[in-house]
Amino acid sequence: MSPKSQFSGMKDLPKTHLLAPGSAMCAGCGGLEAVREIYDVLGGKTVFVNAAGCMTLMSVYPYTPFRGSWLYTAMASAPAGAQGIRDALDILKSHDRIGEDEDLDVVVLTGDGSAYGMGLSSTSGAIDRDLDFLYVIYDNEGYGNTGQQTSAATPHGARTATATSGIGVAGRKKDLFSILAAHEPAYVATVIGAEPLDLARKVERAKTMSGPRFLIALSPCPTGWGFDPQLSVEIGKLAVKSGAWPLKEYVDGRLVHNRVPKPLVPVEEYLKRQGRFRHLFEPRKDEFTLMDIQAQIDAYWAGVMDHDGA
Amino acid sequence: MYRIRFHGRGGQGMKTASRILGAAFFLEGFEVQDAPRYGAERRGAPIFAFVRADRSPILERGVIPNPDLVMVADDTLVGMPQAGVLQGLNAHAVLAIHSTTPAGEWRQRLNTDARIVILPPLFDLLDAAQRVRVSAVIAGAAACLTGRVGRDTLSQAVRTELADLTNTVIKDNINKALQAYDEMNEFKGIAEPQPRTDTPLPTGWITLGLDPATLAAPAIHAAANSVQVRTGLWRTLRPVFDYSHCNRCNWVCGSFCPDGVVSADENGWPRIDYDHCKGCMVCVAQCPKHAIQGMPEGWAAQQTMPTPPSPDRKEAAP
Amino acid sequence: MTQRTLITGNGAAAWGARLAGAEYMPVFPITPQTEIIETLGDWIGKGEMGGRMVTLESEHSMITAAGAGAATGVRVFTATSSQGLLYGMEMLYTVAGWRVPLVLVNVSRGLSAPITLEPDHNDILAARDSGCLQIHAATCQEVVDAILIAYRVAEDARVRLPAIVNLDGFYLSFTREPVWLPDASKVAQFLPDMDPDEFAFRADKPVSAAVAVLGGGPYSYFRYQTHLAALGAVEVFEEACVEYDRVFGRSYAPVMAHRLDDAEIVFVMMGSFATKAMDAVDRLRAQGVKAGLARPLLLRPWPQDAIRKALTGRKAVVVVDQNLSMGFGGVLRGEVASALYGQADAPGALLGYVGGLGGRDITFAEFAEMAREAETAAAGGEAPPTRLLYTQAELREVRNLQTLAHAQGLTPGGEGRS
Repeated sequence: MSPKSQFSGMKDLPKTHLLAPGSAMCAGCGGLEAVREIYDVLGGKTVFVNAAGCMTLMSVYPYTPFRGSWLYTAMASAPAGAQGIRDALDILKSHDRIGEDEDLDVVVLTGDGSAYGMGLSSTSGAIDRDLDFLYVIYDNEGYGNTGQQTSAATPHGARTATATSGIGVAGRKKDLFSILAAHEPAYVATVIGAEPLDLARKVERAKTMSGPRFLIALSPCPTGWGFDPQLSVEIGKLAVKSGAWPLKEYVDGRLVHNRVPKPLVPVEEYLKRQGRFRHLFEPRKDEFTLMDIQAQIDAYWAGVMDHDGA
Repeated sequence: MYRIRFHGRGGQGMKTASRILGAAFFLEGFEVQDAPRYGAERRGAPIFAFVRADRSPILERGVIPNPDLVMVADDTLVGMPQAGVLQGLNAHAVLAIHSTTPAGEWRQRLNTDARIVILPPLFDLLDAAQRVRVSAVIAGAAACLTGRVGRDTLSQAVRTELADLTNTVIKDNINKALQAYDEMNEFKGIAEPQPRTDTPLPTGWITLGLDPATLAAPAIHAAANSVQVRTGLWRTLRPVFDYSHCNRCNWVCGSFCPDGVVSADENGWPRIDYDHCKGCMVCVAQCPKHAIQGMPEGWAAQQTMPTPPSPDRKEAAP
Repeated sequence: MTQRTLITGNGAAAWGARLAGAEYMPVFPITPQTEIIETLGDWIGKGEMGGRMVTLESEHSMITAAGAGAATGVRVFTATSSQGLLYGMEMLYTVAGWRVPLVLVNVSRGLSAPITLEPDHNDILAARDSGCLQIHAATCQEVVDAILIAYRVAEDARVRLPAIVNLDGFYLSFTREPVWLPDASKVAQFLPDMDPDEFAFRADKPVSAAVAVLGGGPYSYFRYQTHLAALGAVEVFEEACVEYDRVFGRSYAPVMAHRLDDAEIVFVMMGSFATKAMDAVDRLRAQGVKAGLARPLLLRPWPQDAIRKALTGRKAVVVVDQNLSMGFGGVLRGEVASALYGQADAPGALLGYVGGLGGRDITFAEFAEMAREAETAAAGGEAPPTRLLYTQAELREVRNLQTLAHAQGLTPGGEGRS
């Protein structure tokens, strides 16, 4: 991390908040927590371009929590909306029809449903065009706004509204981080609201860069994952400590892990607090699936050790 | 036709309650409609569900503006205009509230002609494990108040609607539903269909004219005006500071609050904006000093909230 | 300086964008539209034209970027065709709801399946209810003129809606015709700079645009306002036509008339095939048949008054639809019928024909036969059912193809009927 960060410790985190309360997100929403923390650092000189998802209900006529601007587009094409706004602002600036002070940072905000699936082509295109924008993905590992159906971000073994029996989802969570990084954009980072210092530093860093920049925020979802809202942060921390959600960055063409959890907390500690994994523990423990999930995580971190030489 | 509305909060099982009663009426040979109604609001926000039951096919649709019976699972909603509990109630209607507060006190408190019936507490709304029970209790009480559903039918309806759950849970819920039914025995059948007026009221139609595009586009020309939405109404538990334990670190409660309703005042003491706190209790769970406690909202609303110590107590903070 | 040059319909479309001073052009290639964006790209590359062109990765994204650019306050031009228009259809409806002005040129081409290249109007008519205005050009000249008029109407404070200018693939897109290119120095007289009004994202003016609206009351309001703005665009269009005539000396109207004054049999057609109808009208007139043509230049908003004026009091009206609403018939015939129903002096018969699908020709003989059937129907007071313009020879050709495709043997009962 840059030594010049204004966030050297927890005490430097914002003590007042920019995003206004009053939006219709669920109590304990891990996505809102991350977005609010991100907004605190980004500030109101922004225009958020949104795709269909939970956060579409951030702004419901006639109320908005944003200090800056917002445009809802559709599920598939928020990055293209960002393209239109960025290009138009650049055109206006180049003709001196607006000043620098009227310019805005363009931020795409979508869930995993759009980012991992329907909007991936639009995202890929925006990176191809080297669009100067920040893309914030709140990843609650399912189509949350419609009741938590399986998305490409749903992890192995989770039950969803469309995978209600057996081990749940048999597939594996899509590695969006690597897909994005393979495009060689300016910046890709994973974050989580439960690690606000790491998050603030990454937002701060992304803000100073230009080009396509991505923040993928794992977003513990009390409603979709099945846990009491008060556990939202605890579960988020466990996602990091268990190694299930690696905190990492792709920057200057290099992959960096910001934190290597040592030792890894057994992933069971993370899973057993969530209703979507309850079938792995009750009525009897599904040792095979639990070992499989643990093995995947262990293999990932073994690869990190090899790669980083840690 | 019976027209029955169920009021609760998102997550309190009003949809299931309406389905149990709907199934019970159906099993008794009635034509039935049951449906939940929700918008953008989430868990904790006021929602409602409704049931229509009639001996003839039901042609009405949508929300029930003038119910014969209103069932309230969460009594903190009754006085909340946004929840619309009292909407459309007349002297013919019955308002049944699950509450520890006696009917007389409600009668004094509320501006309604409706007959008020109190269902004594049979569940704890704050206990997540009892969530299903709420549905069974409310449906059971409603079944008795209509007088058209027998005990056996009620049991069968609970069994049908909760079929996904374990036998033990189903049995517990049947017992709770029957207990609620029996509690209401003295009021059995007091909710009756109201005669409907067939005289059409004036429509109030206008011819909509063209407005300027700036006015007629779905755009909000304001910043941060969502503060006018009082999401504090979603709360059933209230986080309350014990400032004697708070070390003013601020970053824990302040950073983790998803809605950003915890801010530091000029002396560094954290303050909660109760107009907007949704009561998720993340701050309570995370505070390392255990300086925040969760209090039942109904109780806390009657108390004076602790205020931060004066600045000169600064040195007392560890 | 005014000049008359030979250019294709696609070239005319590019000139329309250039003369209008389009600043932002999100694009995506598709036949038969691609030449438009190639031309624009070439001009921009050579510095002959200002503006920024960006190739998106789909029409859905292209229309999103177009709408977002317009919502930020720049003049936007874009173009597509058939499948592309359908792929972006969600966003056509969406950007209309944003109430942002932009011009999209659609080069009509028959829709898949089966996929084909030549034109008909099913693509553009699928956008009929989107809230976008629709102007249907019949010549290369009309293409360039319609684009300038479209910008003026779309950006008018009373309208603020996207506009689509339609031209037929191949028959206009790749066909050169002499075109009077509007004098660039006069364009500013006709088309003032775009005023973004309150529609713009700026740091000092926060706006949350296109937000969710809950409840039938507010939703009905916003949707109906878009409708009212579109309805009002008929008058704004007429004003623009008067002004266009004043500045450039070419006269347009929502419904273009050809020999209508004393016409008894009136054809109704849109787009480039309507010039075939004009030719047929002239030839029928020479034979003593009092024929005429009413050609809607504007399809949305639907110029109901002008349609009624053009068609009431006639012996018979013949609508030739170059489109097909499956399970209904021709779309335009339905629109015309709705305009005429209950009108005093409604025509004695309303006949519907479907022709020109996938670029299939319509011959003079067919126009003459349609006119004859119309006379008969008017005399008998009953119109025949909608007919597909199709010949024995065409079916014979299809049977040959089916044989070559080994499809004949799959039919229960052996060979298909001839």
